Amino acid sequence: MEWRGVAIRDTFAEAFDMYAARVVITAGSAAWARTAGQAMTGFATSVIGCKVEAGIEGDLDPAATPDGRPGISLLVFGVDQAGLTTRLLDRIGQTVLTCPTTACFDGLPDAASRAPVGGVLRHFGDRFQSSKVIDGVRYWRIPVMEGEFLIQETFGIQKAIGGGNLLILGADQKSALAAAEAAATAMRAVRGVILPFPGGIVRAGSKIGARRYKSMIASTNDAFCPTLRGRVGVDSALPENVNAVLEIVVDGLDRPAIEDSLRAGIDAACRPGVVAITAGNYGGKLGKHHFRLHDLCASWSTST
Amino acid sequence: MTLTLQQQPTVPLEAEVLSPDVIAPLGLDAVRALPVFHGKRQRRLDEFFSVVGSPGDDLEIEGDLRKVKWIGRGMTRGRVAVRGDVGMHLGAYMKGGSIEVTGSASDWVGGEMSGGTIRISGNAGGQIGAAYRGSSTGMADGTIVVGGSAGLEVGMRMKRGIIVIGGPVRDFAGLQMKGGTIVLGAGAELRTGAWMMRGTIVSLKPIPIMPTFAYASTYTPTFLRILARHLATLGVTLPTDDAKGSYHRYNGDSSVPGKGELFVWSASAEASARQG
Amino acid sequence: MLRITGGRVYDPANGVDGVVKDICVADGRVVADVQRARTIDATGLLVFPGGVDVHTHVAGGALNFARGLVPENQRAARKFLRSPDRRAGLGGMTPTTFATGYLYAGMGWTTVNEAAVPILSAKHTHEELHDTPIVDKSSLLLMANNEIVLDLLEAGEAERARHVVAWLIWAAKVYGVKAVNPGGVAAWKWGKNAGTLHEPIQGYSRVTPAKIIAELAQIVDDLALPHPLHLHANHLGIPGNFETTIETMQVIDGRRAHLAHLQFHAYGGDDWGNMRSQAAAVAEEFNKRRNLTTDAGAILFGDAVTITADGPWQHLLYQLTGRKWGNLDVENETGCGIVPYVYKDRSLVNAVQWAVGLELLLLIDDPWRVFLTTDHPNGGAFWRYPEIIRMLMDVEFRKTQIAALPEAARSRMTLPEITRQYTLSEIAIITSAGPARALGMPQKGHLGVGADADIAIYPEKPDDGVLFSYPRYVLKAGDVVVEEGDVRAVNDGREFIVRPAYDETIEEYLRPLFQKVYTMSFENYPVELERVRNAEIRS
Repeated sequence: MEWRGVAIRDTFAEAFDMYAARVVITAGSAAWARTAGQAMTGFATSVIGCKVEAGIEGDLDPAATPDGRPGISLLVFGVDQAGLTTRLLDRIGQTVLTCPTTACFDGLPDAASRAPVGGVLRHFGDRFQSSKVIDGVRYWRIPVMEGEFLIQETFGIQKAIGGGNLLILGADQKSALAAAEAAATAMRAVRGVILPFPGGIVRAGSKIGARRYKSMIASTNDAFCPTLRGRVGVDSALPENVNAVLEIVVDGLDRPAIEDSLRAGIDAACRPGVVAITAGNYGGKLGKHHFRLHDLCASWSTST
Repeated sequence: MTLTLQQQPTVPLEAEVLSPDVIAPLGLDAVRALPVFHGKRQRRLDEFFSVVGSPGDDLEIEGDLRKVKWIGRGMTRGRVAVRGDVGMHLGAYMKGGSIEVTGSASDWVGGEMSGGTIRISGNAGGQIGAAYRGSSTGMADGTIVVGGSAGLEVGMRMKRGIIVIGGPVRDFAGLQMKGGTIVLGAGAELRTGAWMMRGTIVSLKPIPIMPTFAYASTYTPTFLRILARHLATLGVTLPTDDAKGSYHRYNGDSSVPGKGELFVWSASAEASARQG
Repeated sequence: MLRITGGRVYDPANGVDGVVKDICVADGRVVADVQRARTIDATGLLVFPGGVDVHTHVAGGALNFARGLVPENQRAARKFLRSPDRRAGLGGMTPTTFATGYLYAGMGWTTVNEAAVPILSAKHTHEELHDTPIVDKSSLLLMANNEIVLDLLEAGEAERARHVVAWLIWAAKVYGVKAVNPGGVAAWKWGKNAGTLHEPIQGYSRVTPAKIIAELAQIVDDLALPHPLHLHANHLGIPGNFETTIETMQVIDGRRAHLAHLQFHAYGGDDWGNMRSQAAAVAEEFNKRRNLTTDAGAILFGDAVTITADGPWQHLLYQLTGRKWGNLDVENETGCGIVPYVYKDRSLVNAVQWAVGLELLLLIDDPWRVFLTTDHPNGGAFWRYPEIIRMLMDVEFRKTQIAALPEAARSRMTLPEITRQYTLSEIAIITSAGPARALGMPQKGHLGVGADADIAIYPEKPDDGVLFSYPRYVLKAGDVVVEEGDVRAVNDGREFIVRPAYDETIEEYLRPLFQKVYTMSFENYPVELERVRNAEIRS
């Protein structure tokens, strides 16, 4: 199908089961909340190399935070619950506990599975910590040099989906990037998702394993590298008028969030200079979540 | 269902049957025949109360109930609305549900309660949410909000939960406290927090500080901001605006030695004067 | 007059083991036959001699102090409402006097031995025993830390000490002699405890715990008291104390003695972290010494209140629990400590204690020498005895209880390997025939002609599956006092006291000494015989 003159390929994005936590950080100012949030979600692009995928879900108004201060909401994804718990402890311990004025809250209060985060980090308090139960929720208060750090005892962990993606095939690098930026902005506006790569965009799309280096878990996605078109042994997926490809990866708390995000991304990316939109998959055998691009855009084609 | 005190008891009337748990499953006749103890003599409920309406989880109890004790004892659900002053042990051992009093209450409101909410518009007596004599712990959870004043030993040995007293409080608030939070809207008299092991006492007015409490610092802890949001739903205002002031924190009671904390609100001018 | 017919009778003292036979009752005693009597049909029921508690704490100053110290327990306790027959009261860990009688009788127990009476509070004790209905009572005088006696032992005046002990027994109107932590309570008045059995205690140069034990046991034997020296040995409750207990048996040598609550004295290890059961070693030594009897002092998980004259131990227990502590000083005679306690099955120490009590009951081979107690209320309330009986009789049930204990605790006990199960006849021995014989009460603990008609009749297959918890009938002195587990009629019990022979001139020795060191005048000190109502005097 076509949308605004851009071809939308009849394929699907293949995504995986993951586990997610939502971390809400509040601080004395919105700027300090964002500082903590950026540090907490840094170097968390892919579970392959970072063991965790994380990003900023959105800023929170004072009225929407537990303590009435400006806040920020983060999503953190891991492949299993135990690993995710460990990453939360590492990251909150190093980047939130240490950051001036912050407090740290669970953003998934309804999740049945609970990870003891504050319940473990409290040991930093060396028995000077104390706890307080307010409205059925236990918080730990850890004395620090600047006052006290407050963190909720447990954080919810829920099943989630990671690895939803779009591939934007551009006529040139500049057009591809402009389209990807527009798509990332639209996709981030959806609640319940994050885009874990820098600025939400990844240029180094990968395939599983490697042809020549047996120890590599992943290697460059040669079929989508324009420079390899025509090389012997490369089965290029790119038509001749494509000179740059950018990918957007999206992790979400549930299927509808990813669908909404992908749909918004496709819509925003369909603009001049873009040849086609496609998606990455592994033949559908590795990830159990499939997002068919034509299904996402089904409502558009009927109305146009 | 509405119960109105018609016959004033001459000695205290022990009426723990006035609880949704007891009344809801019964028929009207059975409610009227419920046993109450007038001193040591067993009587029928309807010898003292008129009983109107159909039994259920909502009870309205009216009249001069100052001699009626143990209303809502051990209740786990439902709502009891009391119109008039009420006697001792209101909501003692309560586990859930709510009691609202339009009037004043006596001693031992919410004694050893472990859940639920009690709200009193007027004054209350002493030993609110306290441990009964001999018990190691008092209130284990739940919320008590008193609009007016309160007596001695408020929150004695309480372990969890929240007590808010709007008016002045007498001596020994938070005696041997083990946890939980007491908010004193208008301060307290002597020995607030004596022997406290853990827990928090917040006073919005200056109070006499025992010599076994040490001044620690001046700030507004984050948990107080969370507490303030929670209390706002109960109609209670706890100041947390940094521009208006902050709290002096005192640690104690060091004679136990305790890990308790006493927060005394200090308006900003006063706070800056202290720093200077 | 009464005839109990059709029941299976367990009367081990007379060699009757589950035989269906009639028991006839007239004038409060078992008789050979009765004519035109009321008949109780006991078909399908078990007929037992009424239970005898050889060691319990149910009356007196210490217990009353404990009642006051634990109002929270009283609030949770079973209530006894006043009725035309019954007085109001409370059950629980430290039952009120009337409730004590109702609870014992309601379980089929008809004789109790109050095991710790200071002379100075003997009057109080007798008043309370009088208010403990239905059951027959005896009581034991605390003696192993009495300064006058210890001073005589220091001076080597054993003969005079014997006269003093005899005089004190009659002055207090008690039944026998109790020794608690010999020398340790006297040392506690200096803030100390007794050391090893052969070290002199604080304030003396020659008096050692061993000397007190040996001389008091000798005095009790010389006075031919019906019950031997009733000994709460040194080092109660301390890890590693089994060695002291074995040494104590050696010190007693060939004399008679009853070792109280042996469970608290059979621990190995050397601190709370590595404490383990040494019940097997204690039982092995005990089995060899036919001059000794003992009671289990078993513990049950749940609330208890520890009450003992062993003041230094109670101070240690208070430091372990950090809760409440009562400490009484009884002038020159003894002291007392009270600490509420909760035995928890998740606690290694408590789990080991639980096992030790059962192990002793199972490893001591002669049921005539080991009796069922919880050292009420120290190891648990007496009204929980049926729970222990069930564990003794049912090895499979016992296994399920052991399985619930922490793994680490199971490796510190021998109980999981013990397969012995008590027979009904053996239960009759450890709950009645044995303690009656040890107390020297020939009219108790059996159903032969001439015995007191104290009879407990239990359903063979109770509804709740727990034998002995609800007797169908209990007879006390021939009166049917309990039916269907409920007290239906109340009669007064008797008090057994002894009047040992002593030289009357001993009063001339005691009077000036007494006037010098006591707060009470000599004339007011002894309990008048009139104060002991329904007294039955043995001489």
